Order: sequence, then structure tokens, then C-alpha cells
Amino acid sequence: MNNLNLIRGLVLMAIALVFGIGALNYTIGHFSRAGPGLFPLMVSCLLFLIGLITVVRSRFVAAVPLSYNMKNIALILLGLCGFALLSEHLNMIAGIVFLVFCTSFAGTSYSVVRNLKISAGLIAVAFMFRTLLGLQLPLF
Amino acid sequence: MEILNNLAFGFEHALTLNNLMYCAIGCVVGTLVGLLPGLGPLSTISLLLPLTYSIPTTGSLIMLAGIYYGAQYGDSVSAITMKIPHASSIVACIDGYQMTLNGKTGLALFTAGVSSFIGGSVAIVVLATLAPTLGEVAFLFGPADYCALMLFGFMCVSFVTTGSLLNGLAMAFIGVLLGTIGTDVNSGIARFTMDFTFLMDGVGLISIALGCFGIAEVVKNLDSGSQLTPFNGKIKLMPSWPEFKRIIPSALRGSVIGSFLGILPGGGPTIAQFAAYAIDKRFSKYKDEIGHGAIEGVAGQAAADEAAARTSFIPLMSIGIPENAVMALMMGAFIIKGIQPGPSMITEHRDLFWGLVASMWVGNCFLLILNVPLVRYWLSVFKIPFSVLFPSIIFFCCIGTYSINNNLDDIFITAFFGCVGYLFMRLKLDPAPLMLGFILGPMLEENFRRAMLLSRGNFSAFITRPISGTLLGLIALFIVWQVLAFYFQSRKAAIPVAA
Repeated sequence: MNNLNLIRGLVLMAIALVFGIGALNYTIGHFSRAGPGLFPLMVSCLLFLIGLITVVRSRFVAAVPLSYNMKNIALILLGLCGFALLSEHLNMIAGIVFLVFCTSFAGTSYSVVRNLKISAGLIAVAFMFRTLLGLQLPLF
Repeated sequence: MEILNNLAFGFEHALTLNNLMYCAIGCVVGTLVGLLPGLGPLSTISLLLPLTYSIPTTGSLIMLAGIYYGAQYGDSVSAITMKIPHASSIVACIDGYQMTLNGKTGLALFTAGVSSFIGGSVAIVVLATLAPTLGEVAFLFGPADYCALMLFGFMCVSFVTTGSLLNGLAMAFIGVLLGTIGTDVNSGIARFTMDFTFLMDGVGLISIALGCFGIAEVVKNLDSGSQLTPFNGKIKLMPSWPEFKRIIPSALRGSVIGSFLGILPGGGPTIAQFAAYAIDKRFSKYKDEIGHGAIEGVAGQAAADEAAARTSFIPLMSIGIPENAVMALMMGAFIIKGIQPGPSMITEHRDLFWGLVASMWVGNCFLLILNVPLVRYWLSVFKIPFSVLFPSIIFFCCIGTYSINNNLDDIFITAFFGCVGYLFMRLKLDPAPLMLGFILGPMLEENFRRAMLLSRGNFSAFITRPISGTLLGLIALFIVWQVLAFYFQSRKAAIPVAA
């Protein structure tokens, strides 16, 4: 079941279904007077077809296992969302510190001192962006 | 003569102190970021795009163009010294890295720099002559022709960048679907917004670009867990005269090939470098040495790379259709600045167009005088360990997303697309066609609806018009060829099993 080609086809078909079924909620109209749903529906049908061909094709070519590593992507996403939430409700300096400490778990080595240095550097860069480039960063 | 006039007009705009500074900053920053492992031109441009928001229009586009060539040069440096390839520098890894192994790093870097300069100069002449002419041709295009051209572009990009028509087209279509999110211009109905107000204007280009190219690339590098061994060798830059003489013919050949291949849909640096290398291998005086660290193996491809990078601006600026993902991103940058690239841009924003063309040559000079002598210092970027680098890259992704609308919610969208980009990467789906589909999607829909309205719902409009008919015919031929190729391939593979 762990076959890269098969999963790829299934994912493509799923995306096509999401958009295709969504498009049915809008007016389809005729070709001569297209509604908002017509074009997404057409493209989803093509995408579904490609997904179907990929699935069928996966029966004929040698299976390649799908490799993945959830840890790193999860840590990075957590860091990003934490940064956004902290910057919104507290301030961006806290956000930067959280981002650095959270994401660096994904690296090959972990060091608190180094993280503090990186955070300090990035905070300095953020201040520079604010004063030199005029970006509206909610730093504090 | 008119070209000279126009170019002189362009240089007047490119040579102001501010624009010179933006060009120089673009080249240097582009090179530095482009040197970093895993960051090709696409990620570099999307990462640095926010830097240009607060700069005036002409300056910001000049800077972005500078970032693009800088990133390309940076790529070839990392390919030559450490065999870290990107899409635009795969060929540089062959002979360039071989030259490093032979202890001729400096010569290889010098060759790449000088050849890029030659390639860029030739390409600018082509650009200045061809773009206005093509712009006039573009006025003949009707909606149906635009549709066919975009579909043709999808097909070419899919095939060239991913090598698999099916996967590439799938990504392009996903991009088109993402492009439909937001308010429909014709009916005013909000599509696929799931009642989120921030999706009413559609998904941001930067969120998708940074998610798919920035964050997904970082995670990919983290997953592979590779530690780089920085290049510590000595670099002797200046070549001897006979060595220098060997660069020229090969670089000129590469420039011509690159300029030509850069214009075609789906073209650009990626195929140009392969073509130039192949031609050098066939026709060069030193063809036996190519593959074992020959100057020609570096010169031809570097010139083609650079030439194609510049001529790929031609379809974008004259017809208004980007031909590859990098140009799609550039188009996004033009639109953010309120300029619609296309045939009318050359006449309406004459200063911008010629200023940009002239600045390309200025950028070329900067690359030659700044980057080539200073390359040994640039290489110290590699001494920064990746564990220090990647939190910073992610921080810059955040700032980049945030600074477009000063909205922190956009970071969640970027995070979402980082996740999606990672999934695509693991499924071996290249996000480059997605970018193109996303930019062209709304244009494709608009032109499709207009063509259908004009023909009263009759599809024959696509076939009877000479331009769209020809393009659709080419698409059909290509698909037939792909199906036949797959059929014969699988039959060939099946025979030993049957026997």
C-alpha cells in the first residue's frame, strides 16, 4: 500500500474532488455564458483524470515506497504558528525567541546559548527592518 | 538606430545613483542567498521579494532582476566548488566540479563569470531588438489564442522542469484551482473562501511561494541532515592568455543557443545549459576534454544560462505571459507594483521597460567586477552551520509574508502551504508548474470565458483561428507522442517477464 505513485494519484484525485464538489455549489451556466462554477469544475475534471491515469499507471510500474519524516515539518509549522500567535497577542520579540527555540529542535544539534545568540541577532535585524525599511513590525 | 536611441534612453534611467545602488544590492544579496544550499533562484526571489516593497517601482524591479542574476551566479559558484546543484546549475556540476578536483577552482569561477558576462551582453541585444517587435505581434492575439498559448506554456514547463508531463500538468492545474480562490471578477461571487474574509482577495502569491519554495526547501534540507564541508582551498583567479582565448568561442556559442532557447515557452536557463553543453561536446575543438574539467564545459553552459535568464523576460514583457516559474514570480512582482506586463507595457511604461533592459547590462558589469574578485569572501557563507541558518531563513519567511498586508494571519496561510509544499515534495511533485498555474489561472479563466462568449459557446473557435489552432495541434501531437512512448516503454519492460 505504501506506493509513492499510487498515493500521488489518490492525493491528486482528492484535491480534484474537493475543488470539483465545491464548484458544484456555484452556478455552472452554459459555455456561451459561463457561471462562476464552470471553469473550476472543468479544471477539476482534468485534474481528476490525471489522478486516475496516475493510479492506473502505478499498477504497471515498479512500486516506490514513500518516505517521510513528520518531526521536522511539524516543528517548523509549530514554530511558525507560535510566532504568529505570540506576535499577535504579546509582541514580536517573544515570537522570535519562540520561533528560534522551537525550530532549532529540528536541527542536528541543540544549544541554548547559540539559540540566544541567534534570537538576539534576529531581533536586531527586525529593528533594522523597522527603522531602515519602514516595515510596521509589532516588536513590543 | 532606434534601438540605440532606446537603449540610451534606458541607460539614462538605469544609471541614476539610486538605481545603480538597487542593482548592486540586488546582485550582491542575490549571490549571497543563492550560494546557500537548497536555495535556488525561485526560493531566493520569493525570500527577498519583500525587501523591494518600500522601493520605487523602477528601482524595485531593477533590484529584483539583479537578485535573479545574482542568485544564478551564486548557484553556479556552489555547483563548481561543492557540487551542490540547483535546477539552473546542474551542468556546472559536471566540468566545474571536475575543475575544482583538478585544483583549478579559480579558473572555473573566472570562466563562469566572464562567460556569464558575454552571454548576458548578447542576450540584451536580442532582448532590445526582439521584445518591441514581439509586442506588436501580441496585438494580433485573441482570447482563444491566449488560452492556447497558456496551455502550451503549461505543457512545456511541465515537461521541461519535471520530466513528467502528467505530474507537471497536475501541478499546473492545482495552481489554476488555487488561483480561482477568492472573488470571481465576473459575477462577484466568493469562491472556495469557506467564509474566511481574508480569502476574499484570493491566496497571496508570496504565501504560496514562501511555503512551497522557502519552508519546504528548508525542511527538505533538515530531513536529509547533510552537513556541508566548506570549501577551504586556495583560489587563483586570473587565467593565462591561452586559457582566456579558449573561453571566447565556447561562450559565444552558448550565448546564441541560450538567447534562442530562453525565448521559447517553458524555456529558460534549465534547458539552455544542457543544450549548450551538448553542442560544445559535439563541436568544440577540445571536445575530448569535456567531462574531465575542460574550460569549454564551463564557459558554454554559463553563457547559455545567463543569456536564457535574460531573454526569458521577452515573452513576459512583450506578450504578458510568463514562460517559466521564475518569470511567473517576476510577473507577480510587477503586478504588486501596479504594472500589468504585456504589449502595452513597452509603450506605456517606456522608462521602466528600457530602464530594466539597460540595468540588465549594468547588473552584468556588477557581477563581473564585484562578484568575481570577491568570490573568495562570498564562499565564507558556507562556514555558517545550517543549524544557525535555518531559524533565520524561517524568520525571513515570516517577515516576508507579514509585510505584504501587515497581517499576521498570512503567516498561517504560509504555514499551510509549507505543509502542502512538503507533501508535494515527498510525493515527488515539483511546485514550479504550480506557481505558473497560479499566476496564469485567473488570466486563463478570463480569456476562456471571453473566447466562449465571442463564439457563443462554440469550441470550434479554438481550432479555426490559425494561432490557437497551431498551438493546440502541437499540444495534441505532444500528448500522442507521450502516450506512445509510455506504451512502448512498458511493453519493452514487460517482455523479459513474459519470456
